[in-house]
Amino acid sequence: MKYLLTVCALALAAPAHAQWTGGDGAPTSPLPCDGSTVTPEAVAYDGGAVANEGSKAGKPLRVVDIPKLIGIGYFDSSARGVAKGAEALGNVTVTTDGPTQANIDDQITLIDNYITSGVDGILFAANDPVAIAPVLRKALAAGINVVGYDSDAEPDARQWFVNPAEFNGVAKSLIDQLAEGIGPDGSFAIVTSTFTTPNQARWISEMEAYQQACYPEMTWLETVEAQEDNILSFNQATTLINKYGEDLNGIVGMTSVATPAAAEAVTQAGLCGETTVIGLATPNAMKPYVASDCVKSAVLWDTGAMGAAAVMALRAAADGTLKPGDTSFDAGDLGTLQIAHGSQILLGAPTVFTSANINDFDF
Amino acid sequence: MIGSTTLPPSGTGAVRRFLREYGHEILVALAIFALLVGVGLYNPRFVSARNLTTIFSGNAYIAVAAIGMTMVIVIREIDLSVGALIGVLATISGTLAVSGAPIWVAWTVPIVAGAAINAISGILVAYARIPSIVVTLGMMAILQGGLITATGGTWISNLPPEYLLAKMTVFGLPMPLVWAIVLTILAGLWMRLSPFGRSLYLIGGNAEAARAVGIEVPRRIVAVFMIHGAFAGLATLLFATQLQVIQSTTPPNLELIVITSAVIGGVSILGGTGTVFGSSLAAVLFATIGSALIFVNVSAYWLRAFIGTLILLTVMADMLRRKRTMKGA
Repeated sequence: MKYLLTVCALALAAPAHAQWTGGDGAPTSPLPCDGSTVTPEAVAYDGGAVANEGSKAGKPLRVVDIPKLIGIGYFDSSARGVAKGAEALGNVTVTTDGPTQANIDDQITLIDNYITSGVDGILFAANDPVAIAPVLRKALAAGINVVGYDSDAEPDARQWFVNPAEFNGVAKSLIDQLAEGIGPDGSFAIVTSTFTTPNQARWISEMEAYQQACYPEMTWLETVEAQEDNILSFNQATTLINKYGEDLNGIVGMTSVATPAAAEAVTQAGLCGETTVIGLATPNAMKPYVASDCVKSAVLWDTGAMGAAAVMALRAAADGTLKPGDTSFDAGDLGTLQIAHGSQILLGAPTVFTSANINDFDF
Repeated sequence: MIGSTTLPPSGTGAVRRFLREYGHEILVALAIFALLVGVGLYNPRFVSARNLTTIFSGNAYIAVAAIGMTMVIVIREIDLSVGALIGVLATISGTLAVSGAPIWVAWTVPIVAGAAINAISGILVAYARIPSIVVTLGMMAILQGGLITATGGTWISNLPPEYLLAKMTVFGLPMPLVWAIVLTILAGLWMRLSPFGRSLYLIGGNAEAARAVGIEVPRRIVAVFMIHGAFAGLATLLFATQLQVIQSTTPPNLELIVITSAVIGGVSILGGTGTVFGSSLAAVLFATIGSALIFVNVSAYWLRAFIGTLILLTVMADMLRRKRTMKGA
């Protein structure tokens, strides 16, 4: 009987899950609706410390760059940025290697192997912030400089993190673009990678907070996951269109794979101009849809600059020119970057690609 | 009518025989039907023409790949490399298409290349006597690694519109659906009626007996791997032409999805039994479940748990059936 009751309770609880947006539930800090700026409050350095600090100053560095996965346009372009940054520095050799799927276990094994083989520095984009932390701490303890980009680990497991765009900034940009397409009272659904990927979950939480504050009349229909898989993203987006019909005004893609796939789904359903697609995407993947006027805008940051900043930060950390307490970082061609939230190097506001500027970018 | 000459004259006997032979396939078809009705009542849009098209054609390439996999499993082998193979073939085909090769070349090469690559696996299994699970695991790693190295992770875009086979229609039906149906029927009839097709069941059921009646088992193993490679090539044509870009990585766990289609479709993992009708129906069942989960607002994580449960139940049923047959004999 007790068992039966539990089952019933679970069955009743299930619809509550339907309201789940895919966010991470952590506190949010939505930006003001009118676009006024806020200065982040100063936080003491919270990054990790490397063993034998300063022993590699000025010496050539062998660095391995380990993105979440290889084989997608997004990390392809960040890897090119890393390579370019290393070339500009002159005394850093870098190889990019990563799992072929966004899999944290594979990533940990890979990092472990590189620690054993003896590299001087590790750049990473974490598949899971908590699970990756122990192996990165092991690297720090072995005297390897560790800098993250794109997706962070726990702060004390790396020295610095290059934050390509602040979560609340991306969230504001996405929701503002969405509102332009579907109006302040439209309804929309989200296609994300998986509910546990840290960036996507964070953006979604911030988007939820910003949308509730600035566009309270919008309806958030649901969030579906599609890993980082082209065909699955397409099928999920198509199923959303089939499910909601005209009640679905917009689809937001949370990954560089999901957004073009959603645009393709809308195109194939013959709903261009009726269903708005916006999201995070590399400009090259969105060019056909922007050209056909099916998509008005896509949002991303300069992934090449992110990769270059990461390798420069690693060099500077090894040289001791970037140290705890700094409030800015001189990133050469990229200019002076702000340091905030303890140990994060900020790349600035995200770029919005429209028909006006998308052809100026090639990644 | 399939094999109508061998049916006994009595009508009920024929029905019983049909039920016994295709019981599992009927079960899978009923499951699809039940889902369509159940979720359709909950939300009628689930059974709208548009969503049915998504369900039936979205997974068509898996059904086509599962045809070859069914033959491989029937002869009591396995192929873990099929997902990576499809990824490699998609890149080859797409590269040809954008480099200006005639479209028919871009469509034919993956089929031939699939057969050729799988011939290597087949030879290693049949003549070097290495278990197929090991051979194809190695092949999977080689293909995946080779793909990433060769492409550097760059996607193929700007595919010519006339290349996009999966977007075409025949008599108003989407091409992937037509292919899946036609290929399933042809392969199903071939496995049932041709001496070669029938011999596969004998090889899988009792390789010694097959050898005793003069079947050249190693040669057949190589042939089956090559046919399976050709079907992977056909599946590639549907997979690669669905969108305007070709990703340089394969869908995560595609090989497992293909193998699971065969197993849930009633192909015994111990070899010797099962049909491609079952595996194709199972591929449709997956697509139906995946779509249904969105319609009833359930996380896609449940899809994995659900399919895992189905695998265990199917294998258990298979074991029970075997036990019963052995006792009966």
